[in-house]
Amino acid sequence: MTILGPILLCALWATPFLISKTAQKTDNIIVVDTNAIVADSDIIVVDNAADKKKGEKVYLFKGNFKNKENIKFEYMDDISQAQALLKEGSCDGVLEIVKTGDNPPIKGFMYYEESEPGLSTQEEIKKQMSDIFKTKILEYDYNMDKKEIEWINNAEIDFYTKNILTGKESYQEIKMVLGGVSGFLIYFFVFLFGAQVMKSVSEEKVNRIVEVLVSSVKPVQLLMGKLIGIALVGLTQFCLWVVLTFAILGFVRAAAPQMFQPVQQEEITVNERIISVDKINAAEAGDTTNELIQGLLSINYLTMIGMFLFYFIAGYFLYASLFGAVGSLIDADTDGQQFTLPITVPLIIAIVCLPAVLDNPTGNVAFWLSIIPFTSPVVMMVRIPFGVTFWELALSASVMLLFIAAAVWLAAKIYRTGILMYGKEINYREIWKWLKYKN
Amino acid sequence: MTILETKEVSKTYAAHKALDKVSVCVEQGDVFGLLGPNGAGKTTLIRMINQITAPDEGEIFFCGNRLRAQDVHHIGYLPEERGLYKKMKVGEQAVYLAQLKGMDTKTAKEKLKEWFTRFDIMNWWDKKVEELSKGMAQKVQFITTVLHEPKLLIFDEPFSGFDPLNANLLKEEILNLRDKGASIIFSTHNMSSVEEICDKIALINKSKKILDGSVKEIKQRFKKNLYELVLPKEAAIEDMLVEGCYLQDKLRAGDTLVVKLSIDKGRNAELLSNILKTTDIISYRELLPSMNEIFIQTVQENE
Repeated sequence: MTILGPILLCALWATPFLISKTAQKTDNIIVVDTNAIVADSDIIVVDNAADKKKGEKVYLFKGNFKNKENIKFEYMDDISQAQALLKEGSCDGVLEIVKTGDNPPIKGFMYYEESEPGLSTQEEIKKQMSDIFKTKILEYDYNMDKKEIEWINNAEIDFYTKNILTGKESYQEIKMVLGGVSGFLIYFFVFLFGAQVMKSVSEEKVNRIVEVLVSSVKPVQLLMGKLIGIALVGLTQFCLWVVLTFAILGFVRAAAPQMFQPVQQEEITVNERIISVDKINAAEAGDTTNELIQGLLSINYLTMIGMFLFYFIAGYFLYASLFGAVGSLIDADTDGQQFTLPITVPLIIAIVCLPAVLDNPTGNVAFWLSIIPFTSPVVMMVRIPFGVTFWELALSASVMLLFIAAAVWLAAKIYRTGILMYGKEINYREIWKWLKYKN
Repeated sequence: MTILETKEVSKTYAAHKALDKVSVCVEQGDVFGLLGPNGAGKTTLIRMINQITAPDEGEIFFCGNRLRAQDVHHIGYLPEERGLYKKMKVGEQAVYLAQLKGMDTKTAKEKLKEWFTRFDIMNWWDKKVEELSKGMAQKVQFITTVLHEPKLLIFDEPFSGFDPLNANLLKEEILNLRDKGASIIFSTHNMSSVEEICDKIALINKSKKILDGSVKEIKQRFKKNLYELVLPKEAAIEDMLVEGCYLQDKLRAGDTLVVKLSIDKGRNAELLSNILKTTDIISYRELLPSMNEIFIQTVQENE
């Protein structure tokens, strides 16, 4: 234990670090900026000082993105050609920049196939777009009117990601929230009910009732009954939580509707803006609510709920059977601390790595942690809203099932001997011997 | 009818041999004592009969057939390490344990009420186990062990933790069950209880069976032709001995003299008539070894 403890703690600290070291994957992005802006157009009012540029075609973005360590930009003129490349898989995303009548008058659409580029990539593109936009406007237009200043101040360019196959927008933030919440829920429930199995097993051992029980039923039956029973308790409790949460939300909503009004609208009235801007912003505020609904609708809930149930149950069985084994080792005199630590550390690693996964749901960290069964229930749930290929899901699920079988086998072996072992100091070498016992 | 028979069962845990070719045979209506020092392998054998572990080698027969999974319904087992769920109510818990032995709820409740009434503990039904004293909990445990009227009852150190009053009650109940046709296996190292209630015993030491048979027969086998004579205190026993008689011990107690003699076969009559020539004999009896002595002797010889 003295040696194992520090090793595990180091693993806890080093795992995300080590994996992210290898995670430097480069995203190839094709930029399509078809809406060249003529330097005289409605958007950029070129003033006299820059009149030599008058009539010239100006691409705001073409050629202006800076390549970074993990992003490479290429430029094309034809959107359908770029999308064809994306479908072939020869690039990771297509960024189409379009002109609109909104404020700011530019919007970016990022197309992807299957899984979208990571959040850090997206943030970088968004930042560069805004920077380029500001720079260009300042370069071409020194004599700005109020509306233009407003644009610049507002120069955070709207940025949408779209799945090229489904044509749906991706709504990154909503996915983050959904993924994070479901990942965390799984973590929470696995811990809660796993610990419950452990407690229940050790209670029967400490009570000394277990020998009476195993003279009526087989130890494996007793353990499996406990696992399944508590799983059902867990599912029931979870369903109750969901139902009650929605019931309370519904009630609060009905009782105090003003709580749910978008905050932006108030801001506008306070700021006493000019009418036109006011209108624009009001429209945008409406958009936000609309966007949220659109975003929520864009998630594939069937996969989401199906996989949530799968990982909820699978993660529970994997951990609970191990917790059950540990429970059988706990006696009045021996505490289970040294045995619980190796089980809890992988689960904690999953939670520690959550930000890294959210940041780049398709990166190496996310991939490996969603395949390794000890972290996959949490990490895969975080990834699913962002889109996960079928083979990854299948691989993760099969590895999971294999490990569950192994964990249950292992737990049954340990449990069978452990529950009837009193007053003897149990260590890992001892347990290793038990695995070789026949019935 | 043979209710239980083990044929050369062996069990090995890693490098440790827990049982080595142990054969025992329990007839219906027997009270069978399974004796042996701590760690001899008694509990391993009992766990095999209860199918908690399986033998590596050898076979176990129950009522003539090889032991099957459903046979647990006909076996009642009170382990040495025993307990109940502390937070559960007594009645509920007893019903649950009965169900595990294959009884339906209704019958279980009826039988439990009979037993509870008999032990006069009906008012415990809705109490939680943690409110009971240790002795009270033991009574409940005893009831749950015998409730399903098993053909074979196994008690591992049943009297440990019982006060004399309750131990006696328990003993009576056990003999009562035997009279109703149940066979009983007692595992113990408490020899006095063996002499009182066991018909047959098997002695296990260091994973091997080293002695078995009926209590009477074993005592005969181990007797050393020792006799106790009680004479008036003034008797001069040394002068009365005949050939083949040896004085072992002499002790004056009150106005009597207690003499321990070892007498070779066929010499008794001669000796007694010789003594009677000069003095009275107050009492005369053969000294049979106690089970405790046999136990210690056999185990020591075995070492």
